[in-house]
Amino acid sequence: MKPLFSIRLVFIALALGLLLAISLSLSLGPVAMSLDTPWRVLLSRLGLPLLVEPQAQLIIEQIRLPRTLLGLAAGGVLALCGVAMQGLFRNPLADPGLIGVSSGAALGAALMIVLGAGLGGLAPEWSPYLLSASAFAGGLLVTSVVYRLGRKQGRVDVATMLLAGVALAALAGALIGLLQYLADDATLRTLTFWNLGSLNGASYSRLWPLLAIALLVLVSLPRSASALNALLLGESEARHLGVDVERLKRRLILLTALGVGAAVAACGMIGFVGLVVPHLMRLLLGPDHRTLIPASMLAGASLLLLADVLARLLVAPAEMPIGVLTALIGAPFFLYLLVRGRSHA
Amino acid sequence: MRRNTLLAMALGLLINPAQAAERLISVGGAVSEWLVALGGEQHLVAVDSTSRHPLSLTALPNVGYQRNLTAEGILALQPDALIGTEEMGPPPVLAQLKGAGVNLYTLSSAPSLPTLEANLAQLGALLGREAEAQAQYQAFQAQLAQLEQQLSQQSSQPGVLLLLSHAGGNPMVAGTDTAGDWLIKLAGGHNLASHEGYKPMTSEALLALAPQVLVVTDRALTGAKARAALLEQQPALAATPAGLAQRLPVIDPTLLVGGVSPRVPKAVAELAQAFYPALQLPSSTLAGSAP
Repeated sequence: MKPLFSIRLVFIALALGLLLAISLSLSLGPVAMSLDTPWRVLLSRLGLPLLVEPQAQLIIEQIRLPRTLLGLAAGGVLALCGVAMQGLFRNPLADPGLIGVSSGAALGAALMIVLGAGLGGLAPEWSPYLLSASAFAGGLLVTSVVYRLGRKQGRVDVATMLLAGVALAALAGALIGLLQYLADDATLRTLTFWNLGSLNGASYSRLWPLLAIALLVLVSLPRSASALNALLLGESEARHLGVDVERLKRRLILLTALGVGAAVAACGMIGFVGLVVPHLMRLLLGPDHRTLIPASMLAGASLLLLADVLARLLVAPAEMPIGVLTALIGAPFFLYLLVRGRSHA
Repeated sequence: MRRNTLLAMALGLLINPAQAAERLISVGGAVSEWLVALGGEQHLVAVDSTSRHPLSLTALPNVGYQRNLTAEGILALQPDALIGTEEMGPPPVLAQLKGAGVNLYTLSSAPSLPTLEANLAQLGALLGREAEAQAQYQAFQAQLAQLEQQLSQQSSQPGVLLLLSHAGGNPMVAGTDTAGDWLIKLAGGHNLASHEGYKPMTSEALLALAPQVLVVTDRALTGAKARAALLEQQPALAATPAGLAQRLPVIDPTLLVGGVSPRVPKAVAELAQAFYPALQLPSSTLAGSAP
C-alpha cells in the first residue's frame, strides 16, 4: 500500500498532536483555570517567583499530571503492543487480547475484587495496589500458558498459539462470569466499572510500575523493527534473511504481556487503542515498522489523552467511560482513512 | 484564605460538632433523602446519580455514580464536605479529595435501625440539627414499632418472594442480607428465599417455593406496568399462589439500594397491608412522614 501522506509530514503532525494533547490534558478539567496555569506551576517549581494559587497547584500536580502521565504511558504502550501483535500474527486484525493478556488481567482483577469482598473487604488503602498486582499477574500467567501451548518441538506455532489464546480467553471469560454470579451486588458494580477502564484516580505511587515498563517497551520494541519487516514476508523467508524468528516471537510476546498487563493493571480495560491505532498508522504510513512503531506510540498516547480530556469534561462533575470515547474519536477517523485509501487504490 | 476557613472548620468540628458545614455533596440515595428531610437541602451543591428523591435533587449537578467519583469534578464544586456511605469510591479518588482538604463522612448503608440511628446522629451533628435528627429517628422507629405491634396480633405469616427486574428482564430474587429481605421482615412476611444476596431463579424454582405474595420491583418500570412486564417475561408466575390471587404489590426499587430511606415506614406499611389484607392501618401510617 502506498503511503497517503509524506512520512515527515505525518510525524510533524503526530508530534504536534501529542504536545497539544499533553497541554490540553494539563489545562482542561472541571475546575476552570486559565490555560497558562500549568506552565506557571511548572515555572514556579523551577524556582521562578510566580504567584500560583495553592488549589490550582494541587489540582495540576496531584490530579492532572499523574493522570496525564498515566494516559501517555498506557496509550503509548497499548498502541506499541498492538503493532507487535499485528506484526507477529501478520494480521492487521490482531490485537493484544489474542495472546490472552487482557482476559488474564481481567480475570486476575475479578478474582481479587470478588475474593477480597468475600474475605470481608480489602483494606481501602491497599486494594488499588492488590488489584493492579493481581491483574498484572493474571495477564502474565495466562499469556505464559498460551505461549507454552503454542510451542511445538522448540518452535512457536503462531496459528496454534492464536487458537490457544482464543480458548483461554473463553475460559477466562467463563471464570469471570462465574465470579460475577458469586459476587454480591456491590462487588458486581465495582467489577463493571473496572472493566470499563478509566484514568480516574491516578496517583504517582501506582504510576511508576507502568512508567518503568512503558519505558522498557519503548526502548526494546524499535530494535525489532527490521526483524518485524522481514517477518512480513513470512516465517521461513525471515529465517533466510537471518532473523532469529523464535527469539523475535519470544521478545514480542514477553513485551506485550508486560506492557498490556501493566496498562490494564493501572487503568482497567481500555479497548480500541491497541487494535486500531497501529492499523490507522499503517494506512497513513505504509507497513514499514521503522516508522510504524514510533508513529503508533505517538498516536496511541495522543488518542488516549484526548479521549480522557473529553471523558472528564463532557458530563462534569461526573465522568464518561474512556473506552467509549477512544472508539468514538478513533472509529470515524479510521473509517475515513479506509474509504479514502480505497478510492486512491 | 480558603485553606484557613477549612482548617477553622475542621477544628470547629473537632471542638464543637454543632458547627454547620456550608457546602455539601451528598453521595447515596438514602443519605441525600435524609439530608433533605433534616432541612439541609440548601447546603447541597451536588448529589450522585443514585440520589433521585425528592425530585428537586435531580436539578443539582450530578457527580456520577457513587463508586466512580472523580476528584477534580468534585473539587470544582468547592465542597466543604462529602457525605456518603461505604459504597463511595474508588479509594484513590477519596484519598485525593482528603488530600485536597475535603472532609469525608462515611456512613453505613446497612439496613438496620441501629445503623440508621448512628447515621442520623452524625448527619444531625453535621447540619447542627441534632434535636431534629433525633426526633426524626424516633418518629421513624415509632411508626415501625406501632406496625410491629399490630402485626404481632396477626396469624398465618405469608410466604413472600421479592423480585427485582429490569423492564421485565430476568428477575433477581432478594435473599438473605439484602434490603429487600429486611423490608419483607419489617412488614411481617416470611422470605422464602434462603440464598445470600440477589440471585436469578428459574421459573420452576419459583413455582416450587409457592409464594403467597410476590413483591414486584422494577428498575425501569413502575406500578402496574412493572407487574405486567414481569408476568409477560415469566408466565409461570401467574400459576403461583401469589399470581392466582393477584397478590403482587409493587415497591420502588430505590428503597433497596444505598441504605435506609425515610420512605421506609410508608413502604413497609403498604407491604404489610398487602401481606395482611385484614390489617386495619391508621391512615397516618400509610401517609408516612416522608418529605
